[in-house]
Amino acid sequence: MNCELAHERIVTAAYGELPDEQIHELERHMAGCPDCHTEREQLLALKILADAHPVAEPAANLVARSRRHLEEALDALPPKRWYERVSQRMMNNFASLQAAPVAACLLLVAGAGAGCLGGYEFAQNRAAHTAAAATAANVAPQTLPGPQAPVAPAEIANISSIVREPNSQVVEVRYNQVVPQRIEGSLDDPAIRQLLMLASENSASAGVRDDSVGLLAAECRAGHGCQAAGIRDALMVALRYDKNEGVREKALKGLEPYVAEDVRVRDAVLEALLNDADPRIRTAAVSILEPVEGDTSVRQVLHTVAISDQSPQIRTVSRQVLSRVPEIQ
Amino acid sequence: MDGTDRHGTSRGENRAQARAPEMELIREAQAGSRAAFDALVRQYEHQVLRLALHLTGSEHDAEDIYQEAFLKAYRYIGNFRFECSFYTWIYRIVTNLCLDQLRRKKTRREDRAVVTDHSGDEIDLLASVSDDRSFSNPAKELDRKLLGERIQVALDKLTPRERMVFELKHYQGLRLRTIGEMLSTTEETAKNTLFRATKKLRTQLAGLR
Repeated sequence: MNCELAHERIVTAAYGELPDEQIHELERHMAGCPDCHTEREQLLALKILADAHPVAEPAANLVARSRRHLEEALDALPPKRWYERVSQRMMNNFASLQAAPVAACLLLVAGAGAGCLGGYEFAQNRAAHTAAAATAANVAPQTLPGPQAPVAPAEIANISSIVREPNSQVVEVRYNQVVPQRIEGSLDDPAIRQLLMLASENSASAGVRDDSVGLLAAECRAGHGCQAAGIRDALMVALRYDKNEGVREKALKGLEPYVAEDVRVRDAVLEALLNDADPRIRTAAVSILEPVEGDTSVRQVLHTVAISDQSPQIRTVSRQVLSRVPEIQ
Repeated sequence: MDGTDRHGTSRGENRAQARAPEMELIREAQAGSRAAFDALVRQYEHQVLRLALHLTGSEHDAEDIYQEAFLKAYRYIGNFRFECSFYTWIYRIVTNLCLDQLRRKKTRREDRAVVTDHSGDEIDLLASVSDDRSFSNPAKELDRKLLGERIQVALDKLTPRERMVFELKHYQGLRLRTIGEMLSTTEETAKNTLFRATKKLRTQLAGLR
C-alpha cells in the first residue's frame, strides 16, 4: 500500500466506512509510516474541531412557523383535476406492475389458470345438466357451436339428423345422448312399471327383456293393478314380436288371466297359436284357450291349427279342443 | 451485515416492519390524502430543518428550503415508486435545494481570524484557542463560539458538493452509499468528494489545535 492510498483509506476508516480487512492492512502500513500516522492524527483532530460547529436542533418556534407557512401554501394549491388524478393513478398502477414483473406474471398465470378451471367446471356441469334434461323430457339435443370434443360412441343414444351447410365444410349432426341413471322402488310404483314396460320393448338385451316381462307377467298373474292399459299391451307386444321364445312364453303366461275377458288378449293368443315359430308357445297358447268361452274366431283358429300345424301334437290337442267346443261355448 | 435482536429478528426485518406504516401513509398521500401527507411532513420536518439550518446558518433560508422541499414532495409524491426509502427521496430533494442555495450564496462571511476579547485586546484565533470547553467560563464560551465561526468559514471555502458530502457524512452521520443515492452519484464518488473536503478543511484549519 502506498501513502496516497493510505491517506484516502484513513479518511474512510475515520468515518467507519472501511472494510475490516482493509483496516488491518492500513494499520500495518501506519505502523511503519510516521507520515501516515501523523495524517490520521490530524484527521481525528479535524473531526474534533468540526464538532465545534455542532448541529443545533431547530427551535420550536421555527418548526411551528415553517409548518404553518407550509400548510398555507398547500391550501393555496389548486386541487388536481379529475383527469390529472386518473392519469396519475394509471401511471402508479403501471409503475407498480413495472416494479413487480414477477408478481404481475404470477398473478396473470394464476388468474388464467383459475379462469380455465372455472370454465371447464362450468362446461362440465352444463353438459351434465343438459343431458339429464334431454333424457328426462325427451328434448331434442342442443346444437353446440364451434368445434367440440368427440363424444364417446357409448354415450350416444341415436343420431336424429345430419345437415350439411351449402358450399361449406360445416356439417350439423343432431344426436341424443345416453345418461346412465338408477332408480329403486316397488313394483307398484308407476315409475318402476313404466321403466319395466320400456325395457320390455327397447332393451337390446334379451336378458333385460326377459326380466322385465317376467316381472310384469307376475304382477298380472297376481292381479296387481294389471287392469289398466299399458302392462297388458306391453305383454301382448312381447308375445307378438319379441325374438326370444322365453320372453314370449312369459308374456303368454302373464296374459292368461285375461284371455276370457279381453278380446284383444284372445286375438294375441290366437295369433301366437297360428304363427309362433316355437311349438312350446303354440302348445301353451292352445292350453290357455280351453276354459275360454268360444267365439267364431277361436273355433276357426283351432280348426286351422288342427289341420295345418306342423306339430302333430298340436294338431291332436287342437282336435281335442274342438271336440269340446260346446264347453268352450 | 444485519444483526439480530433478542427476539431473533434481523435489523433489516425491523426496518421493513417500521417502514410498513410509512408505506401506508405514502400510498394514502399518493391517493390525495392531505392528512397522510401532513403526517409524513411531521416525521421528517425536524431532520429537514436541522440540515438546512446547519448548512445555511440562517433560519430564514432554512425555512425557505423547508417550504420548497415539502411543496415539491407534495407535488411529485405520485412519482415516488418505492424504489428507495422515502427518507432518501425527501433528503434528495432537500440536498438539491441546499446545493442550489449554496451555489447562489456568495462568499460573504467575514474572516474573523482576529477579534477583540473582553479585555479589549486583539486575539488571533489561529493561535489562542483553548482546549478547555467549560461552558461556565464566559471566556471559554467566547472561544468556542469563535471557533465555531472559524469552522464555518472553512466550510464555506468548500465547493457546494464537498460541503454537502461533508455535512451529510460528518454532521448527519449518513453512509457514503446513501449520500451517493441522495446526490445521484456513486458511493466511490462520494468517498472521493469526502476525501477532498477533509483535505481542504485540514489545510484551512491547520493553525488551530
